[in-house]
Order: sequence, then C-alpha cells, then structure tokens
Amino acid sequence: MRIFALAFALLLMGGIHSALMAQPTGLVLGNKSPEIKLTTTKGDTITLSSLKGKLVLIDFWGTWCAPCVEEQVDLARLYKKYKLASFTNGKGFEIYGVALEAKKPNWETLITKNKINWIQVSDLKFWRSPVAKAYNIQELPFNVLIDGKGFILAKNLHGKELEMEIGKNLIK
Amino acid sequence: MKTKSLTFLLLLVVTSVFATTEFSCQGQSDPWTPQQLLAPADLAKVLNNPKAAQPIIYSIGMQAIVKGSIDIGPTMRAENLNTLKQKLGKLPKNSQIVVYCGCCPFSRCPNVRPAMELLKSMQFTNYKLLNLPQNVKVDWIDKGYPMSE
Repeated sequence: MRIFALAFALLLMGGIHSALMAQPTGLVLGNKSPEIKLTTTKGDTITLSSLKGKLVLIDFWGTWCAPCVEEQVDLARLYKKYKLASFTNGKGFEIYGVALEAKKPNWETLITKNKINWIQVSDLKFWRSPVAKAYNIQELPFNVLIDGKGFILAKNLHGKELEMEIGKNLIK
Repeated sequence: MKTKSLTFLLLLVVTSVFATTEFSCQGQSDPWTPQQLLAPADLAKVLNNPKAAQPIIYSIGMQAIVKGSIDIGPTMRAENLNTLKQKLGKLPKNSQIVVYCGCCPFSRCPNVRPAMELLKSMQFTNYKLLNLPQNVKVDWIDKGYPMSE
C-alpha cells in the first residue's frame, strides 16, 4: 500500500513538474511566443507580454524591405477594423511592429509618413537583433499571430489569409 | 467571334513575349559575373587568417556586420554612393575589394547594383560581391562567421 502511495506521489510530482515545464516556447503553432522586450522611437520599453489579453500580430519589418513597407497600408486597415473587436481568445487587436533597423531616422520617417499608430519597437541592431534569432527569422516580411494568452495561432500569413485567420477568432 | 478569339490569342502571345524579354533582360543586366561572387565561407577563411592578404570590405547596406568592414550606408542613396566613389578614388585600380549588403536576396536588393556598377565604371580589376543569397543573417551571422564588434 505504501509503495503504491509513494508511486502515486511520484507520478503526481512528475505530472506537476511536466505541467510547469509544458509551456514550450518556440515557433511552433500552439507554443508560447518568446518574450520580446524592445523600445519605441521615444525610448519607452514595451514588452510583448504587456499585451496579454489581446489578439496580437507581431509584425517583423524594415524600412529597407519593400514588401514590408507596402504591407503597412494593409495593416493600417486591419488595425482600424479589428482594434476594438472581441475575439474568442482575446479582447481587442494590437499590432506589435518590430523593426529590423540599423538607424533611427529612417524608421521614424516611415512611421510618420505611413501614419503608423500601433506599437513600433526596435533595438536598432538590424539582422543582429537577438529577436531575429529568437524568432528564427529567415527573411522579411515575417509575422506571428498570438492569442490573448500569448500562444501562437499562425505564422507568416499575409493579405487575405491573414484577415481570414483574424476573422476566425471573432465573436460573432 | 473568331476575330475576337484571334485577337485575344495574339494579345496573349505578344504579352508573354514581352514578359519573357523583360525577365531575361533583368537576369542579364546584373553588373557582375558569376566569377565575381565571393562565397561567404571563403571570405570567412581569409578573415580568420591574419597572415592572409585582407581585402578592403565595404558595407553598402544598412549595417557593417562583417568583421573589419567599412560602413558606407545604403548605396541606393546618391550621397552614400558618392561616399563610396570618393573612398574608391584614393585606391589603386587593382585593390582587392569586397562589397556586401545582405538585406535581402539580390533580386530585391536596391544597393548591390549601384555599387557594382560604380566599381565597374571606375575600372577596378579585382572586386567581388559577397554572395549572400538570402541575407546577412542566414548566410553570415547564423554560420558563425566573423562579425564586427
């Protein structure tokens, strides 16, 4: 009986341990998205985890990447449309724009020119950014859609596919 | 009806001919030869060997990432191309020169062509383009090749 109790306790402990460890981060759908802690053009730090509760599109882009710049127009439209929407897995929609930039002026100019009114952060390390490594970015544009708890819903969707994925999570 | 179909077919043929011509022209217009592409592994080997003759390396993109490279800035901008021109003007024509950008594939990069055209027009004889087919992260940083401080 004692042996059984011991075995049960061990199993239970193992279970708790796995549950604690069972939040793999990494770029697999359903995994928790790696934390990002970067600064805005004004020097304020905004973490990705501070957006908990919202559906978030992490948009990796650069002013030197023509398709990324073109996409900002479509992102502005999506942001306006879904910003205050309620989703099954988040309340409100936010874009966390991570710019792979080397210098601030180009980035600031494009934010103003494109009237980007969502979060913009960068470490100004261009392709040397640790975030590019953490998210295993191979090329731009690249994005990750996460739910209110930070779990990855989709990767690298653009245009209609991206909007469909956001729409799928809407409370109708 | 027949005339309409014929016109459509003709239009299709003309369009496809133009499309092909444009495509092939784009390929031919690269101002470098395959022999002028320098493999990253080869440059890394030279950089790691202090006894080897070191080339002059210019970063003509967003950031000087390769060890020892000189930051010119994106040569799609006239002022940066001019900076490169001035620096090159002081060098012998047979100097060993390497340029790289690494923002994105050559087909999308706005910086490699102006720089390579400049080197060609200035009649340098020993210059290469660092072959970063995807970008400087995938083809240099991720490979662990030497980087600037």
